[in-house]
Amino acid sequence: MEWIKFIMAVICMVFAAVMEIIAIYGVYKFKFVMNRMHAAAIGDTLALFLGALGLMLLRSSKWFSYKIIIVVIFLWMTSSISSHVIMRMEYNIDTKKVEEETGGK
Amino acid sequence: MSKKRSDYKTTFYSRIENYVNGKDEFLFHKEVKDDTVHELESLEAELTEAADLLEKREEQQRIQDNSEPHDFLKRFHRLYGIIATLVCATLMVLLLITVSWLPRFGEAANPANNVVTKRYIEKGEEETGAVNIVTGLILNYRGFDTMGETHVLFVAASCVMILLLIAEGEEKKSSYAFDRYLEPKNDIIIQKTANFLVPAVFIFGIYVILNGHLSPGGGFSGGSIIGAGLIMYVSAFGFKKTERFFNERIYKIAKVSALCFYICCLSYYFYMGAHGYDNHIPLGTPGNIISSGLILFINIFVGTEVACTMYAFYALFRKGGL
Repeated sequence: MEWIKFIMAVICMVFAAVMEIIAIYGVYKFKFVMNRMHAAAIGDTLALFLGALGLMLLRSSKWFSYKIIIVVIFLWMTSSISSHVIMRMEYNIDTKKVEEETGGK
Repeated sequence: MSKKRSDYKTTFYSRIENYVNGKDEFLFHKEVKDDTVHELESLEAELTEAADLLEKREEQQRIQDNSEPHDFLKRFHRLYGIIATLVCATLMVLLLITVSWLPRFGEAANPANNVVTKRYIEKGEEETGAVNIVTGLILNYRGFDTMGETHVLFVAASCVMILLLIAEGEEKKSSYAFDRYLEPKNDIIIQKTANFLVPAVFIFGIYVILNGHLSPGGGFSGGSIIGAGLIMYVSAFGFKKTERFFNERIYKIAKVSALCFYICCLSYYFYMGAHGYDNHIPLGTPGNIISSGLILFINIFVGTEVACTMYAFYALFRKGGL
């Protein structure tokens, strides 16, 4: 039983690391704000959830799991809100239009 | 005959009477005012005003930029890159050479393993009453050092105020109008989340401060958590609502009184220690919330100081005033 738990935890953590790497790659790969926001959100949601799940499986105590769940809920709320604010700013400023007007500078 | 009340006409019963007698068509007045149009108009006016001010400011900037071309500055900028690279390279080489001469980490003969460390670890809980040795160390044994750190925060906030505080006049008006020029003004999503999160953040910060002598945490970390909560509240609801409970007057009172009380607590320690007297403040049983003498109070004062400084930095950089 311990075994299976350990292996599952390791799989979760590895997937979290892979997702995080994809998110970082996307942030540097894309040029437009909203695309980058979308890529960064992967790291804030899926990678975070998988990493937390791995930690919970590794140390299977009740109170530790509750704490981790609270952390995950907190970060899910705040990261979506920050994405929303970035989106509103982009909508108000309209960087693409500004770039066309000024010639990419 | 009973006497009629002076405000009988507006009471509930009189309205019902009027309704029954057919004098008044509506039982209640229309409560929801239709002022969204008005609000939009005022918003637009504010925005155009802000745009005008922005243009004025940019023009002034352009005039300033074109008026005095400095030869010295140009030469300085050319030299600046070269000198900066040289200084950084020499610093790096020097530090790396120093590191190579350091003793290896974790050896028993290192100068870090001496009587002082042993005493902190073995007698720390007994002497300070704090379960968290780090808090007992920085607030009791090395209280002087921490007092200096708190003063550094105070001086830093004062310096930022000297540089960024806008006293009065046209400039103040313009900077207050620019405060959230492009930002969403009353975003309902942020506000609902802030309703939910800000109390939780405050409570967590207070918990970290009060539990500073029992678990990891203390004044500095708890204060910065509370400051972050204040910043979130401001970015959701604006300065008008924040000034109801945290304005410049309260900032001054909280900050200065926290520093003064902190110095009072520490001078008690210094006086007693320097004259060789016993500490008369009971330490309590280690592990309780109210224990470890003055450390709890010092934590609270440090937390107030740090929270005020965090919020002041944010407000000053954003609009040039508290």
